[in-house]
This record gives sequence, C-alpha cells and structure tokens, in this order.
Amino acid sequence: MTTWALEIEDLTVAYHSKPAVWDVDMCIPEGVLAAIIGPNGAGKSTLLKAALGLIPKATGHITFYGKPYAQARAWIGYVPPRGSVDWDFPTTALDVVRMGLYGKLGWFKRVGKNETELAMSALEQVGMADYAHRQIRQLSGGQQQRTFLARALVQDARIYFMDEPFVAVDAVTEKAIVAILQSLRAQGKTVVVVHHDLQTVTEYFDWVTMLNVQLVANGKTAEVFTSDNLHKAYGGKLAFLNDMGVEVR
Amino acid sequence: MSLIEQVIIRLLNLFLSYEQINTLFNDPRTVAVIIGGLIALSSAVLGSFLLLRGLALTTDAISHTVLLGIVVAFLVMVGLLGMEADLSSPLLIIGAAGAGVLTVLLTELIERSGLVKEDAALGLAFPFLFAIAILLIARFADNVHLDQDSVMVGEIGMASANANSYCFANCDPITITPDDPRAKITRECVNCLSEGISPRHPNAIFEAVCANCGTYTAGQIIAQASRGNPLVAPEDNPQLVFIPKSLGVMSLLMLITLAFVGLVYKELKLATFDADLAKAFGFRPALLHYLLMVLTSLVAVGAFDAVGSILVVAFFIIPPATAYLLTNRLWLMLALSPLIGVISVFTGYEFAKGNFLGLIDMSAVMRWLNSTFGLNLHTTWDSSISASIVLMMFFFLLMTWLFSPKFGVVALMIQRRNQQRQFAEQVVLEHIYHHQHTEAESTELCAATLHEHLKWSKRRMMWCIARLRALHYITLQAGQVALTERGEQRVRQFNRDVLGLSIISDTTTIVT
Repeated sequence: MTTWALEIEDLTVAYHSKPAVWDVDMCIPEGVLAAIIGPNGAGKSTLLKAALGLIPKATGHITFYGKPYAQARAWIGYVPPRGSVDWDFPTTALDVVRMGLYGKLGWFKRVGKNETELAMSALEQVGMADYAHRQIRQLSGGQQQRTFLARALVQDARIYFMDEPFVAVDAVTEKAIVAILQSLRAQGKTVVVVHHDLQTVTEYFDWVTMLNVQLVANGKTAEVFTSDNLHKAYGGKLAFLNDMGVEVR
Repeated sequence: MSLIEQVIIRLLNLFLSYEQINTLFNDPRTVAVIIGGLIALSSAVLGSFLLLRGLALTTDAISHTVLLGIVVAFLVMVGLLGMEADLSSPLLIIGAAGAGVLTVLLTELIERSGLVKEDAALGLAFPFLFAIAILLIARFADNVHLDQDSVMVGEIGMASANANSYCFANCDPITITPDDPRAKITRECVNCLSEGISPRHPNAIFEAVCANCGTYTAGQIIAQASRGNPLVAPEDNPQLVFIPKSLGVMSLLMLITLAFVGLVYKELKLATFDADLAKAFGFRPALLHYLLMVLTSLVAVGAFDAVGSILVVAFFIIPPATAYLLTNRLWLMLALSPLIGVISVFTGYEFAKGNFLGLIDMSAVMRWLNSTFGLNLHTTWDSSISASIVLMMFFFLLMTWLFSPKFGVVALMIQRRNQQRQFAEQVVLEHIYHHQHTEAESTELCAATLHEHLKWSKRRMMWCIARLRALHYITLQAGQVALTERGEQRVRQFNRDVLGLSIISDTTTIVT
C-alpha cells in the first residue's frame, strides 16, 4: 500500500467570502517530486499555507504521513517564496540557515556550535559556503534562494514544501536546485513544489497536482499532465502554452 | 515598586554611603541623565525589533494612546478607589498595557475589514483613542497633574523632585512631651486674641505652651533638622534615602525588557524575519507580537512622564535607525542602539543647558547674534531637555548617514569613485592587452594618442596612465605603452573572474 506523505480532504479556504481553494481532495505519495501547478490566483500558495496551518481553513482535514500537523511538525520543511521576507534584515546567510534549526531547538534554547556546523554543511551542499558570512542583502536572487534551500535542508524533514523556488533564478541555479531536490527524493523524502513553468514539469516532477481553485487533476505526471487537463486548469490561456512548446500528451 | 526601589538603594549602598546616594539623587542633572538613559536603553532595544518589523508608526500611535490608559487608570484610582493621583503608580502600567493592546487590536480590526490599508487603519485607530483620552481629561481630570506641557514634552528635568523615601536607621518616631529636655516651652498669652488685648495688658493670662511637642516621623525629624531645629543629635538622625519615583519604574521596565529580549531573542528574530516559518515551528509569532506591543506600551508610559508622548517615538526609532546604518548584524544593532540612545541623552541634556558636545557654547552664539545683528535675545540657553535629546539623536543619525564606514553617503561616494577609477584602469589595460603584439600595435598603443581610441579626454588618459605606471601595471617606452607581467596577470584575472572568459585562450584576438 502506498504511504501518503500528504493527504488533504475537503479543503476549503476563503479570504472573506471569496473562496481561494474550493473543496480540494488530494494526496501525494511518499518519495516523489510533486508539482502544484495552476494559473495565477488558482490558490496554489494558499493551499500550501493552509496545509501548514499558516492561514485558517474554512473546512478540511490534512494529514502528513497519517498524522495531523501538530504531531507532524518536526517532519515538515517549508521554503516560503523568496519575496516573503525582508532581505535587508541585518543578518548573514549562515544565520538564516541556522534559523531552520530553531524548530528543533524549541523555546528559549540557544543556538550553539552544533547548529552552526550543521548550517555550514547545508550551505556547502547548496554551494554557498563561500557566502556564509555575507549580509543577505548582498546575495543575488539565486544565492538567496539557495540560502532558503539550505535552511530547509537543515530541518532534515521528511516532506518539504517549497513555494516557487525557481522564480527569478538563472538556469544554472535552477539546475543546481533541481539536483538537490532529486537527491532529497533519492533519500526517500517527499518534495512538494508550487511551480510556474509548465515547460519543465515533465522533466522535473513525477507527480502533478493541477489546481484552479478547485482540484483539476492529481496523479503521476505521465498520467495527468495532459492537454485536456491543462485546458481545464488554464482555460483560454492555454493557447500561449502551445506556442511556448510545452510538451503535453 | 517599593521593593525594587529598596533593592536599588541597597545595591548603590555597596559603593556609596546613604548621604552620597541622597546627594546623587538630589541633583536634577544626574537624575535626568540616569532616567533618560534607562528610557533610552529599554526603548532602543524594543525599537530595534519594532523598526525591523515595520512598526515605527505603531510605536508613535501607542505612545499617544497610552494617554487613554493613563487617564482611565487615573479615574479608577481617584474616582473608584479614592487613592491619591500619582503618575508613577503601578495601576498606570496596567492601563497603559491595556491601551497599547487596544490600539493594536483596533488597528488590526479596521485593517481586516478590508476597507483601508494598514497605515490608514493606524491613522483611524489612534486619533480615536487619543481623542477619547483628551475628552476624559477635559471633562473629569482637569484638576490633576496632566497638563498640556507634560503631555507634550514631559519634564525629565524635574524627575528628581518627585521622590519616595526609605528609612534605614533610627527610624522610630520620636515623641516629645512637655517634660522632655528637648521640649521648647514658651509662655504665651492665651486670651489675647479672643479678648483683643495686647500681651502687655494687665488682664492678659499667660500659660506655658510646648512649641514642639508631638510625635515626629523619620521624615519630619529630617525636615526639622533641615530647618535648624534638630530634635536629635546629628549622629542619631534617621537614615532616610530619597529615590526619584521614575527611577524605580524605569529600572523595572528595563529589567523586564532585557529579560524578555534575552529570553526569546531567537524566537523574536525568527518571527521578525520570517513570521511564517516561526509559525510553522510553533513559536506563536502573534503572541510574541502582542508581548512586544505590551512592553512597548509599558516603556512608553514610563517614558511619558519624563519625555512626553510626542517625543517618545524618537527614543524608540532614531537610535535603532542609526545602529541599522552602522551594522548588518542584529545582535550588534541591539548593542549599538541603546548605546547611541544613552549617549544622546547625556549630550542632549548638556545641549539643553547650552553646551553642544563641548564644542559650541549656545549662550556665546546668542551673544554673537545679539552683537552682530543688534538683536535682543536671551543669552541664557535653558531649553527643553527632551527636545534637545531628540535633536542630538537626529544629529547622530545624520552624522552616521553621512559618515558610516560601510553604508554612509561619503563612504559610498568614495567607493563609487574608486570603482569608476578602477574600471577606467581596467578598460585601458584591456585595450593594451588586446592590441599589443598585433599589427596595429604602433598606432593603437601610442601613449600620446591613446585617449582618441577610447574617446576620452587627454587629461583623463594622462592621469590613468600615470596611475597604472605607478602601480607597475604598464611601462612607457619610446612613447609606446606595454603591459608588465603584473598588468597581464590583472587582465587575465579580470577576464576569468568578472567576465567569465576562461574558455577564451590568451592568444585569441578579439576583433574590435
């Protein structure tokens, strides 16, 4: 039997009276690279945030490896969109990565040598060791994204949620990030990515969730990444997709 | 509150005698600087987080709405509990905390309605609460000490006058009876007033009256002694120590602030930088936010008495903003901003008394203005202490903005000039690198005409060549420039590191 890393039942999230996510049932199996795709305003980030309890949900039940969020917290790694934090904050890349360990430390405990070592090795993993002591504002967009990735790596989670990790990074960085995600998958971890670029879906991901407020499709990329589903999710905007040379069945 | 005041006195007593403590706390300057320093310390620590969280204006709002908390607490104290009105009562602290939380809640409520944006929500919430406070003062509390001046700018200079006293020795009250040797017995006419006769009148009746009989508390004994009527021998005087009321309050607030930030530094930092992750970790950023707001309200009300509600926000925001220009490490910012605050208080007090950083004597400036322009200005410069402190804070901010070694305007200008110069040098080096050992070498690398190839002025090229020669990057022989070994190294390094041209071999000629 498949172990579901993430199971969502009847999730509805509304901002005021406008539904952002409507009655979504979906699941993601363990050990896959999963993409959540859909047009702007489809509720991709909202779904992620509601799953992590960052925003209140109107209805719905969410489990991670069969456990509710409160019990599964330590297994979950979260990479927010890069634009969600203030990069002028007076701190260094190393310190940002160390923040990934605060959850394990819990209240009041201080960051020690051990945490610094773990953070350094995560920075090395993402090729950022040389920039450890840089003020974060001095990092390029790709370097900032790698720093966030390193912060997720130190959390040593079972399931990672990443909100648009490939936005505004160059091709080299994107490949480097994908390589890291693939190595996470090789370790049996699950990675859920809110993704924008349809051209790379088949190349990077083996599981796809298509969303347009309501769930459009959820399954193996090979089975659900079809032009039929894309039409349903993106509606009239799909004409562009054909021009862009997105490969669909 | 009395506990912390006694602890402060006991601690000071480790180094100072009781008399020295009294002298210290009797000096308006010392007390103003100490209290100002305590306010600056607490508010700068909290302000660092507020600034980074984009809450500078919330601080301003809270520093106004605590007035509502103060007034309500006043009315409860005087009206319901029948206590004496007192600006340093702990009840005010509760009122202020309530007002601070109310401000934040109301702002969020208005914001959540979706009708207006965050700044407007703040602008709606706090004048509303402030107006209620003013109305309550005008209607119910106009006879208490809450006048316009103290609301506006405070009275830190008077802080030493409002003191509590504690007795440490010879504290028992003294009772003087008529048969006591210390009793002052005088004979007084008992019927002169009632009968309207002079004491010399034969009908005047005299009786022995004790002028100083009665029971004296420790404070009254000291008061008598200071009036030249000592009741006991000087060595038996009660050991009274006076401590300004604000001192105890502000010390306590500082301790709470430091304890709070020290305890949850890590959590506050994460909640400030990335509230979502903090929430995902279960750190309850909303709770931290409200605790921070409560503390801000407490310090604001503590500072209210001393510096007034308008200028409090400066104590919270300017020193952290200055520190932010000096460092890009949060812990260093937290260390620097209180330091800047305390220095501003010290120099600000001096400035209020006419001494600008020990450099300019303001009364001399006034005299100069009078003599030069024939004006008739007061030559004594005794100005608002809190306003002077805030001006000093601005002065330090301005200086930092100009001269901060890393981010200052001057440093950036120098850096930019250096970059421009280095880039110009690089352009010349690259030009030589590409053309030397080619057929066009003799025309392209002629020092006298080099500027024409780059469309530069001759002067600029002369300077550039002079610098490059001085740095041993090029040589100049028979009017021709050529790269030295060192120069070639620099070009190759630049091509590799900056242009990423490692693939292009050194022998490749680039057609220009």
